[in-house]
Amino acid sequence: MIAAVDLKKYFGAVAAVDGVSFTARDGHVTGLLGPNGAGKTTTLRMLYGVMRPDAGTIEVDHIDATKHPRDAQAHLGVLPDIAGLYPRLTAREQVRYFGELHGLEGGMLEERTTDLLRSLDLMHVADRRSAGYSHGERTKVAIARALVHEPQNVLLDEPTNGLDVMSTRAVRAIIRRLKAEGRCVLFSSHVMQEVSALCDSIVVIASGRVVAHGTPDELRAKAGHDNLEDAFVALAGAGEPR
Amino acid sequence: MKRPGLPRWARQVRVVLVKELVDSFRDKRALASILLSILVGPLITGFMMNRIADRQREADDVRVPIVGARYAPALVQWLSQQSGVTIATGPGDPEQAVRDQTEYVVLVVPTDYAENFRASRPASIKVVADSARSDTRGQVERVQRLLAQYSAEIGALRLIGRGVSPVAATPLKVQAVEVSTTQQRAAKLLSVIPLMVLLAAFTGAMQLATDATAGERERGSLEALLVNPVPRGALALGKVLASALAGMLAVMVTAGLCTALLRFIPLQELGMRFRFGTPHMLGLMAAALPMCLLTASVQSCVATLAKSFKEAQTYMGILILAPMIIGVMGTLYPIDNQPWMYGVPLLGQYVLLTSVLGGYAPGPLAFLAAAVACVLAAAALLRATVALLNDERIVFGR
Repeated sequence: MIAAVDLKKYFGAVAAVDGVSFTARDGHVTGLLGPNGAGKTTTLRMLYGVMRPDAGTIEVDHIDATKHPRDAQAHLGVLPDIAGLYPRLTAREQVRYFGELHGLEGGMLEERTTDLLRSLDLMHVADRRSAGYSHGERTKVAIARALVHEPQNVLLDEPTNGLDVMSTRAVRAIIRRLKAEGRCVLFSSHVMQEVSALCDSIVVIASGRVVAHGTPDELRAKAGHDNLEDAFVALAGAGEPR
Repeated sequence: MKRPGLPRWARQVRVVLVKELVDSFRDKRALASILLSILVGPLITGFMMNRIADRQREADDVRVPIVGARYAPALVQWLSQQSGVTIATGPGDPEQAVRDQTEYVVLVVPTDYAENFRASRPASIKVVADSARSDTRGQVERVQRLLAQYSAEIGALRLIGRGVSPVAATPLKVQAVEVSTTQQRAAKLLSVIPLMVLLAAFTGAMQLATDATAGERERGSLEALLVNPVPRGALALGKVLASALAGMLAVMVTAGLCTALLRFIPLQELGMRFRFGTPHMLGLMAAALPMCLLTASVQSCVATLAKSFKEAQTYMGILILAPMIIGVMGTLYPIDNQPWMYGVPLLGQYVLLTSVLGGYAPGPLAFLAAAVACVLAAAALLRATVALLNDERIVFGR
């Protein structure tokens, strides 16, 4: 479970995140929806401990993540905004490296690595260096290394961005499986179909503020639009300063 | 799952260290450039020293073409009795022959030589040589020394013939007192070796230090790495240790290569009784290896600060000037060892390396002091790198 309370982050005079609060529950898929530059990535970066909030608190499985970011990170699996691979390492080595950093080793690590690569349909590149991977393969390897320690909470920053249909489906399948396993999944997107297809709960962010929070049905009702996309445009527009 | 002994952070340091080493040893192009830069120095130096030794040997074996040898039979005979001297018939045009480099020296005995000699007047004799040619200077000087020696011997005989002691004609007796041991003089000639060992500590660590810091960020893998529950200190230490090991490898290769080369170079022929063996090699390594921690941490720190991989490489080029300046200054203005020098990183190592090569290595305390100075400086730079990794502006670019 992840709980953010009144998060704020300033870059100079600009408030990138200006009082964001929401809770992402276990066994739920929570979507962070918003236009480009709304503060989604900055919010996630604070949640996964690579940026310090200027104000507000974060709880990850009841750990105060602002005070103990490393302890919280042990409970997180993250596909960050920039998820580069090591071009001279194979898929298996990249996943193994992150597993080892989490303290895994031996047969258990090898087993989990192979399981992940197989379930993400990456066995054909498992022992090839990542320099020649397709975009889809790179994203899936980055997801695999985020999941190797079987984290209770999974944060994905625009996981389907730029992927083809097949890879998008594979990523959706992973998200559904994580949900079925009772994990807390939080992902950001600016793509409506993505969010409506997967999410139990949606947090709409615009200009660094939460402008709406609820199930897809609640959001439709709140915005007075049957179409979720229209609802999104209406809600996101409400956050724009006039 | 937990192995006893190593704390969690230490195991994380090891994980990072191993990954960085594996990663960089797969970078074949970088590896080749490092290897080349390490090998080129010792090989060129070895070649040059061999040439110097060759020339020294050639100067002892000197061929003297003489024009008009029949006017000075006694001189020619005296010359031919000197060791290594071969008398030859002079060319038709001596000056042209020297200019064409068919001969490096020609003696010309004028027709009035015998007449002047008999009359005890200075008999002129011409030495035709090209002083612009440095490669034959040794031979020309040998010929001139031989002529001076002959002149002095004849002069002494003439004085004795007139009942005067030749000692009266020698008001000064110049004695050169050499205070440096032959090994010290050798060390001066070999002063380029400390420079190469210092440089190896920089070039060896450079590639890995930039790739693991500026490269990690430029490839976009830094954010994903920082998401792992690993203290920044463990990440930085693992990366610094990996590049320090690469630097140490380069230092060992350089020191080993120089030792091997010195065995092949005929140093005795350079007037040195230089015995270079395993103790010297171990001394070189003991002096230089701790410095690799410092070079790796200063390079990692600077490369972390750099905005891009390219910028980091530019900084590496500037950093490498530090050992070069010390090396060049050390060659131009010989440094007399002061105890405080051991406490200055780089300078301490340079002084130690020169001492080891001179065969008068200081006690283990000096080695320890120099190593401690490096480790302390490295620790300070490691802290600075950790601070940079905690700075969001550094991690996410500015």
